[in-house]
Amino acid sequence: MRWITCILVVLIMLLPFVAIRSEDLGTYFYWVVVTTAFLIYTAIDTKRWENE
Amino acid sequence: MNNFIILVAFYAVLGTAIAIYARGARTHEEYFVGGRKISGIVSALTYASTTYSAFMMVGLVGLSYATGVGALGFELMYLIGTLFLLSYYAPKVWELGRKKGFISPAELIGAKYGELTAKISAIVALVALIPYTSIQLIGVALILEKNAELSFSTGILIAAILIALWAFIGGLRGVAWTDAIQGLFMLLAAFLAITWVSLKVDLSAISKLDGLLYVPNKIWTPKFFAALTVPWFFFALTNPQVFQRLFIPRDKRALRKMIIYFGLFGLIYTVLVTLLGLELRIMTIENNFPFVTDRDKVTPNLLAIMPSWLSLLVALSILAAAITTANSIILTLSSMVSRDIVKGSVLVGRLTVILLTAFVAIFAIQRVSYIVELAVLSSTILLCYLPLIIGIFHFNFGGKATGVSTIVIGFTAAIVLFYLKIDPFGIPVSVFVFFLTFFTFFLVGFVERKTTPKS
Repeated sequence: MRWITCILVVLIMLLPFVAIRSEDLGTYFYWVVVTTAFLIYTAIDTKRWENE
Repeated sequence: MNNFIILVAFYAVLGTAIAIYARGARTHEEYFVGGRKISGIVSALTYASTTYSAFMMVGLVGLSYATGVGALGFELMYLIGTLFLLSYYAPKVWELGRKKGFISPAELIGAKYGELTAKISAIVALVALIPYTSIQLIGVALILEKNAELSFSTGILIAAILIALWAFIGGLRGVAWTDAIQGLFMLLAAFLAITWVSLKVDLSAISKLDGLLYVPNKIWTPKFFAALTVPWFFFALTNPQVFQRLFIPRDKRALRKMIIYFGLFGLIYTVLVTLLGLELRIMTIENNFPFVTDRDKVTPNLLAIMPSWLSLLVALSILAAAITTANSIILTLSSMVSRDIVKGSVLVGRLTVILLTAFVAIFAIQRVSYIVELAVLSSTILLCYLPLIIGIFHFNFGGKATGVSTIVIGFTAAIVLFYLKIDPFGIPVSVFVFFLTFFTFFLVGFVERKTTPKS
């Protein structure tokens, strides 16, 4: 399941290669937002370790 | 006296005081993994400082300047890979480390694939990481040469003394604490640099960057992106200096903090550094910054136009980034030598720190042309560990033959293909080595299982 999540996130990260071609910081912000979202997901996903 | 020498002297005294405060390790466990009692915040900062070398403020600024936003994508892809691998494998590695008393990364490999595999792993790590560490020393020497007017060899000597001294005295605890302070300083210097540059840039002119704002462009083709990303994506499992840090947090709560705060550090640092590169490119277009053709010269050009106090702070942060990466690697390599190759006491570990640093310094001082090439190659060479580490947690086959053949074939292929400059079937070397090591692992593992009598 986690590997599937990872593959999904990698595909989302690769999206600018086929779908975004803006001449502003669109691609830049897109990558920052996806990484931030994944960091938040990781923080929530690993919260259970605190009780182990 | 030159201001930069005063700054470096203060830095050296502070670091040495911290290392002395952290001294007292009597066992391998205390010396190499801090007795597995490091807090989450310090673990995160040492992980970040070990990972982020002088490449960030020099190489990545230049890469963003020359090639555009693709540099951010590549670096954040690394961060995504690391976050995933750590959130999945770190607790398993941490638990195994405690249960079996693993200290060197090769011991984990040796437990499944045999002692010979562990020995070969340690030797491969030495070959892959000594040139990479030498590059860090060369970076420090060049900064000292430019800012403190010292000769190149004196710069190498100072860097070598700082690297060996802190690791020799304080072991992992000394390295981790000095890393933590330097990590915060690296972040602060990057923040000050981007603030200073941002005040001079009209961001509304961003569209003038044109092809640098999207991918693919002339440089960031899918093939180039894959070639860089594949070895870095798996960095957390393949590079022993960061892998060993999975053994150090004091509990799972600290392990979690290490991962999350490292991720936060990495994200902020990457954004600051890549934005710096892009803003400098806008300045070039608006004729406020010279056009720099050699991308490694972008940061030195920036330092030349900054106020001297800021230039000195940024230069010191680059020096700190190089030292933190180098001493962590030296300490990890010394653990692999003294645990997997010669099997000696803590004293042997300490002496190995000195010997390895001396060797790295000699390598650096010669400045032979192939050092840079070998340093670039290091992450591809280390890919040969990947199937073995993943195999520990997912596959119940594989022994000595699997371990030895996977490492030897992966290592040999990386070296040979890189030097012959061949992309087999048009596939980048790093991607080819990635598939080859997994193919070898499964093939030999399958044969070994069929031919080994069940006990």
